[in-house]
Amino acid sequence: MIRNSKTAIPLVTLAFTLALQPLVNAQDSKAKPIETGTFHGKVHNTSGRATLYQEQDGKLVLRLTNFKTSNGPDVHVILIAAKDADDDANFLKGNTERVELGSLKGNEGDQNYVVPKGTDLSKFQTVSIYCERFNANFGAAPLEKF
Amino acid sequence: MTLQIATWISRRKWTVAAVGFPIFIAAWWAFRPDKLWINEKVNEPAPFASALDPQPLYTGRLQGKAHQTSGRATLYKRSDGKQYLRLTDFITSNGPDVHVLLVRGDDQGLQQEIVRGNLDSVELGSLKGNQGDQNYDLPGTTDLTKYRTAVIYCERFHAIFGLARLEPF
Repeated sequence: MIRNSKTAIPLVTLAFTLALQPLVNAQDSKAKPIETGTFHGKVHNTSGRATLYQEQDGKLVLRLTNFKTSNGPDVHVILIAAKDADDDANFLKGNTERVELGSLKGNEGDQNYVVPKGTDLSKFQTVSIYCERFNANFGAAPLEKF
Repeated sequence: MTLQIATWISRRKWTVAAVGFPIFIAAWWAFRPDKLWINEKVNEPAPFASALDPQPLYTGRLQGKAHQTSGRATLYKRSDGKQYLRLTDFITSNGPDVHVLLVRGDDQGLQQEIVRGNLDSVELGSLKGNQGDQNYDLPGTTDLTKYRTAVIYCERFHAIFGLARLEPF
């Protein structure tokens, strides 16, 4: 198939580079857990764990594991400026400050959300699964130092 | 009355349909009742990919019982399969003959500060220090489905200094 070594060498090099790629990426994205907490939420049965990871470049990622909540319309993951939140709390009433992390990717399973740069973690201490349409807190996880 | 409404509806069934259908669609869009039965399951990998580092399996906060105790207890698994308990941000009071145990979660003794009788437990060793980060190896055969409460225990006075119920990480 490959007649001479002149074409073979670049091909072998390319194959090696491709094979090593995932390994290199894995080391780049090494992240440390810095805060963690478990979800509570009885009205909309929410459970699981939320953990904040810090990557080597300082980027923050929120990861949900063993996670389960009820499916609903327009559900978001947010960080709120509070120590904890009551089940079914409405953050519009209390004028609670929040940071948006994105739409909930799935109501079950492990999932990651990037936390915006410059988020003050000493202020935003609780994760909430929040239904924007009805302003209802499905579940909250107060974060504590890992 | 109901008959009147029924005849009114039957006379104007096209108007009712023309008004009712958009309302039905709007209500469906707002409440999405179909989502009650449909689950969206995802499975993203963890942000770290290094399988060589010890992985946290269970973790929990320590609560004081007979003595003020605080910090975090986390069960790790090394890449070779060995497990260990790690205490971080740990503070308890110093005392005589203090040990670290993993106790069966439903053991009645955990309700008390001073235990009458014995705790159903796995011994992890003497407490290395009453402050600071420290690791304790688990015996190879520990059943973590049962023995999942970390207890700081004074053997001499059967006193539970503090405990942490560990939950999946």
